[in-house]
Amino acid sequence: MTEIERRIRDESERRLSAAEVEAYLAVPVTDVEREDVGGLVAWFTRRYPTAGERLAYVRRAHRRWRG
Amino acid sequence: MQAADFDELGFFRAVASSGARALLIGRRALVVIGIPVLTADYDFWIHIDDIEAFNLAAAPFDLRPTHSPADARARGRYILENGERVDVLIARAVPTVDGTRVAFDDVWARRRSRPLTSEVAVILPSIADLILTKRFAARPKDVEDIRLLSLLADGDDA
Repeated sequence: MTEIERRIRDESERRLSAAEVEAYLAVPVTDVEREDVGGLVAWFTRRYPTAGERLAYVRRAHRRWRG
Repeated sequence: MQAADFDELGFFRAVASSGARALLIGRRALVVIGIPVLTADYDFWIHIDDIEAFNLAAAPFDLRPTHSPADARARGRYILENGERVDVLIARAVPTVDGTRVAFDDVWARRRSRPLTSEVAVILPSIADLILTKRFAARPKDVEDIRLLSLLADGDDA
């Protein structure tokens, strides 16, 4: 693992403080963000109607991502 | 066992019929709800008295515990692993990043059953409780997940 990879991993696994969490969540949700997430969920549940299909899709996607 | 050989539905079926009080948490719970996020592991929060039943359900899938039930109870968590990795939380209660105590029994009482297929279901926390579990580790991705879940919770069971 390179130094950059290690730093990215450490940052992504870091436990935020309560203040950091609240600061992030205090940012209001915009209409665009709400529509984007709604669209994403609508696509995912339409393309994979059952939760079993969604889990299987994520397993396949993760395998592809891992190479 | 290779990851590609893992019978995921069979595993969930075995957990459901084991009698173990087991809640699917983590990102795979988001996937069940309908949020497309990537994840490598399975995360469960189970009742502290149900370790043996849960391990028994996982054994046919070559998932082996990293700790004995006694050690796991002392540590509050353990892992089942082979080609897959299942992180198992077994604390009676866990504090969130801001010090709120979240008790397993309370979350279990508010649980939701979500069908995976017409024959197999999995037990999840309510969305509000799933958000609380995301405050346990409080990593950057957990906060992103809280934001996603909050949007769904507006019109759901939270």
